[in-house]
Amino acid sequence: MSQDVKVCVLFGFGINCDRETAAVFEMVGGISERIHVNRLVQGERSLSEFDILAVPGGFSFGDHLGSGRLLGNRLRFALREQLQQFVTDGKPIIGICNGFQALVKTGLLPGPADASLEPDLVQRASLTLNNTGRYEDRWVTLEFDSESPCIWTKGIQRIECPVRHGEGRYVMPTEQDLDNLQSSHLLAVRYVDPTTPVGEGIQDELLPFPMSPNGSMRNIAGICDSTGLVFGLMPHPEAFYSMWLHPEHTSMDLDDDWEGEGLQIFRNAVEYVRSQR
Amino acid sequence: MSVQDVRVEVTPLQTEGMRDVLGDVVQRQLFADHGIDVGKVRSIRGYLIRSTYSASEIEPHVQDIFSDPIIEFGATNTSLLEDQNFFPIPPSLTVTVGFKPGVTDNPGAAANDGFKVLFPEGESTISTYISYAFLELPDGTDHTWLASTLFNGLIEKSILTTKEQLETNQATHLTFPERPTIVRQAPAIINLEVADEELVRLSNEGLLALNLNEMQTIRDHYRDEATRTARTNAGISPDAPTDVELECLAQTWSEHCKHKIFASKIHHVDTETNEDTTIDSLFKTHIMKPTHDMAKEVDWLLSVFHDNSGVIAWNDDWSICMKAETHNSPSALDPYGGAMTGIVGVNRDILGTGLGARPIANTDVFCFGPPDWTGELPSTLFHPSRVLRGVHAGVRVGGNESGIPTINGSIVFDERYIGKPLVYCGTVGLMPRRLADGRESHEKNPTPGDLVYMVGGRVGSDGIHGATFSSLELTDESPSSAVQIGDPITQKKMMDMLLEARDACLITCTTDNGAGGLSSSIGEMAEYTNGCEIDLGKVPLKQQGLSSWEILVSESQERMTVAVSPKDKDAFEALANLHEVEATQVATFTDTGYFHVKHGEETVAYLPITFLHDGVPQLELESEWIPPQHELFIAPTGLDQSKLLMEMLARPNIASKETWVRQYDHEVIAQTVVKPFVGVERDGPGDAGLIAPIHGDSQGLVISCGIAPRYSDIDAGAMVAASIDEAVRNAVCVGVDIDKMAGLDNFCWPDPIESEKTPDGKFKLAQLVRANRELERVCRAYRLPCVSGKDSMKNDYGVWPNKISIPPTMLFSLFGNQPDVRKTATSNFKHHGERIYLVGTTYDELGASEVAFHLRERGEVSGIGGQVPLLENPEGQLEVYRKLSTAIQSGLIRTAHDCSEGGLAIALAEMCIGGRCGAFIDIDGIGPGDAFSRLWSESLGRIVVSVEAEHEVAFVEMMEGADLHLIGMVSASSELLIEDGYDTLIQADVEQLTESWKGALDMTGAIE
Repeated sequence: MSQDVKVCVLFGFGINCDRETAAVFEMVGGISERIHVNRLVQGERSLSEFDILAVPGGFSFGDHLGSGRLLGNRLRFALREQLQQFVTDGKPIIGICNGFQALVKTGLLPGPADASLEPDLVQRASLTLNNTGRYEDRWVTLEFDSESPCIWTKGIQRIECPVRHGEGRYVMPTEQDLDNLQSSHLLAVRYVDPTTPVGEGIQDELLPFPMSPNGSMRNIAGICDSTGLVFGLMPHPEAFYSMWLHPEHTSMDLDDDWEGEGLQIFRNAVEYVRSQR
Repeated sequence: MSVQDVRVEVTPLQTEGMRDVLGDVVQRQLFADHGIDVGKVRSIRGYLIRSTYSASEIEPHVQDIFSDPIIEFGATNTSLLEDQNFFPIPPSLTVTVGFKPGVTDNPGAAANDGFKVLFPEGESTISTYISYAFLELPDGTDHTWLASTLFNGLIEKSILTTKEQLETNQATHLTFPERPTIVRQAPAIINLEVADEELVRLSNEGLLALNLNEMQTIRDHYRDEATRTARTNAGISPDAPTDVELECLAQTWSEHCKHKIFASKIHHVDTETNEDTTIDSLFKTHIMKPTHDMAKEVDWLLSVFHDNSGVIAWNDDWSICMKAETHNSPSALDPYGGAMTGIVGVNRDILGTGLGARPIANTDVFCFGPPDWTGELPSTLFHPSRVLRGVHAGVRVGGNESGIPTINGSIVFDERYIGKPLVYCGTVGLMPRRLADGRESHEKNPTPGDLVYMVGGRVGSDGIHGATFSSLELTDESPSSAVQIGDPITQKKMMDMLLEARDACLITCTTDNGAGGLSSSIGEMAEYTNGCEIDLGKVPLKQQGLSSWEILVSESQERMTVAVSPKDKDAFEALANLHEVEATQVATFTDTGYFHVKHGEETVAYLPITFLHDGVPQLELESEWIPPQHELFIAPTGLDQSKLLMEMLARPNIASKETWVRQYDHEVIAQTVVKPFVGVERDGPGDAGLIAPIHGDSQGLVISCGIAPRYSDIDAGAMVAASIDEAVRNAVCVGVDIDKMAGLDNFCWPDPIESEKTPDGKFKLAQLVRANRELERVCRAYRLPCVSGKDSMKNDYGVWPNKISIPPTMLFSLFGNQPDVRKTATSNFKHHGERIYLVGTTYDELGASEVAFHLRERGEVSGIGGQVPLLENPEGQLEVYRKLSTAIQSGLIRTAHDCSEGGLAIALAEMCIGGRCGAFIDIDGIGPGDAFSRLWSESLGRIVVSVEAEHEVAFVEMMEGADLHLIGMVSASSELLIEDGYDTLIQADVEQLTESWKGALDMTGAIE
């Protein structure tokens, strides 16, 4: 069987992290293609050709009317069947930053409570303006729920990477909504205090700015759906593919190992696809 | 189905955990800028939908398009302000702000895009507004003033709604902004056979910005018999221009497009040296010739001066280009729109270089009045803090939404920029050396018969006369049509599409539509084939009824002009369709020698290409250098230097700009290796931007800048030398390849043409002469070719004698190769025990220094005069830089920081802040001056480095021949201690230094 893992990296309409997202999948052995949304909509290409779907960061449609909403609408209305089929086929999807916002507004994240249910594309959460009211680019420390079903985050404990957003505050209508996700370990990744011991950083109580850059409920940085295949996060792991992108690399003693901490997320998905064959 | 207007309003839910952040931001900013707490503010966003759909059809889909079901409430045809569920008590005051007719409404366009997905039938347009409800405004707040802080009357309209009006049901609402219907005027014939005064009047009243000599030259063209015969044959008025032609010539010949001052013949007199000479074009003499000379010695200068940006070969596969522009006048009138148009405009210069380069990095340098200005302000000018916020927001949105990281920049403050802020926007581009069909991508190669497309946005009445307007001084009557708001998403879609078209080898020639609109873009490209034929009737319009000349010269944004071979027509149009980008064929290249413009079948302009481009007569100007007299700066005795250090760190020119710069995305594309902020808390200053633009490859590209307008008060030549040296120093600090650096010169000058309006024009021109001579001297010595540049020559406000002129300012931007980004340096001290060296000599050069200005503002001294920093031996300096760069590239040095504003004391403080560590320093013996001057002097050529003990010997050997001073050691304490032999000069806690440095320009109004 072919070892090729084909990755569809969406672009167009203001998506702007498509090149680096395509590049990191290539670095971990995937074969990426940047596909304009309309090539899928017009039927020239089909999602079914691919093993992984990545919705990169950017400012789709300028983020007017709320980040990711209009891109989410294009996906929800124009690509509905292809997307549902992709999820039903058990293929991994990642949304990063604006891509995460689009997946949340599409309703793919967090998705229905039960993994056995079809994706219903109903919005259950939102990402809204940072409490600071400002768009900011800064590095944060993330910690992952080790019991999460998320296939993207397997084996990763703590990484640093940049956030670059103005609307990254994850909210849900009730505490119960959050409890449900948390007990199912779908709150896959949270902002943590970098001074805490690794593995003990996750906390529900709101961290102060800038440890939590946006005031997200329970310091949520990213979530997965109940299948563990659909994953979205506000921070940009693709922007830490190499140690030379780390803000303090001039203070570190790095010999030959320059792989950045963000790359493992993408490798996990490529390896997951291979493992399913 | 009839067209109807439906109103949708949306407001944030107020349930547990939900917030109204837009309202919070208004409250905080008013507090930060004016010290007024206006209390709780709530926001409502409004959409006016003009379509064939009714409210009852739209209502079920409000949550699909306009409001978020989790965090917002939205409804059709309601006034949320009057809804007691959301506003149980009517707010004290509500300010509602909407756009004036014809002003770009980006949220409206995006909303309409979303609307059409669900409501595809017929035409629809959406206009947006926003309401700020002040729930409990303190008594006595001036309502009109408050509203004025929230909107710009030039482009926006507002409605104030008081509590009383709400309680008595007398609230009014904004309605759809109606454009007045306009009717196309047939082209007029302009009689130029009139008296000279009448020619001048024609130019002035028509905003043509042409002088008498130029008007006469145009008149004479129409007297020529050959011209008349050709015109008769073409079916256009034989002996007089049409308004289309006159407007087209005015744009093409504008100072903005033709750089007439830089091209002028200057009679220069120097009263110091008795020099009396004539200079035939500053540009050709001091900028172009040196670069062309250098081009004979290197093989990497691919394209200089003639294209939209300068191009260098970076490696065998990729070339790099860079361009910087200014957008000063528009930013003065509308800081947000003007600055956004500036950044997205320079992005198009990159997209229009060769066959199209991809923008990969932005740089932004601003010059503003002091943000805490409390002095007089002419009523037509915005307060500097408002200009800062607006310009910053425009550049932030323009850069971030385009997906281009802002990796380097600066903000400079001086009172004289109150009249005219300077907004420099730069962009770096990347392109493959060759395309798939073998063509070199930095060269345009159109042939007659190629089809010319206008791609992207449509043409409207916005942006008419931008080029000629920027060639005039700013007055109360400056036209609002010169202001535009950029639309980054339309441009992003266009950019995606054109880069795909380039890679598919579909483009033969391209350029951007900036100043002068189609007349400039097609006009310039027509030089390649020697002719073109345009049909203005085909140009897609934002509104019907524009006259021919308006269509030709409108500078409506987000447009590129692209030439395509007829065989590629279908493929090109299919690509545009895929990307939802409008591309319309509006012209054809010819080889007739004529710029031939038709509107339908009617010929409305018929100008020889040579006359259009080369017909403008050379200006002849007078220059006289009389050195300005300044009272000498004499350092006060007995100053507390530690306290002075804290004050200096809080000077706006020195203070951290972190809260501003963090709002730019500096990491998109995943390539930024040295970021704007470095160190353990990621808040120390970065010297230069360093990127690794090819994913996975460690070859780097350095982008840096230098700007030093203070020195112009004494000598504009010294100002230029200092700016270049600063850019180079910054680049050296991250390990630039000294043998592959290129530069951009961007001059911003006050009007240097002597006239009644400008009685000191000769002096200002002499400043320009000196500046250019230093540019040539230093660039030749540094082997640093200028590959592109720009000048903006009318940076004045008001009328003599109450004129505010900016200090002559040149931004020097540098881009250069860096061999391996894994070996670079940052400014923060790393470890206790590192040895600290100062490279370079500290002279007694405190003239026009930051400390001199500070002490004068404090009233401690009365003069800033004295010796400005000189660069006496740039050839020797280059060798020092080469050694230091090599030391960084070899991994010996990982800490380096340039000494500039505030001298050594500030450089050391910043290095401690970045490392959150102390240092013990002794400045004995680093230079000839007294202790004060050794601390604060701004001598050029100096860089502070720290080196690990194990590398110290190798480093010192490598630097042999350089003026190297061991000045101290990084300490384990949290104290910066600076001594001069046995005297303690400065003893300061690093946390306190950090607080001073970071607090001054925070301006966030605190969080929560």
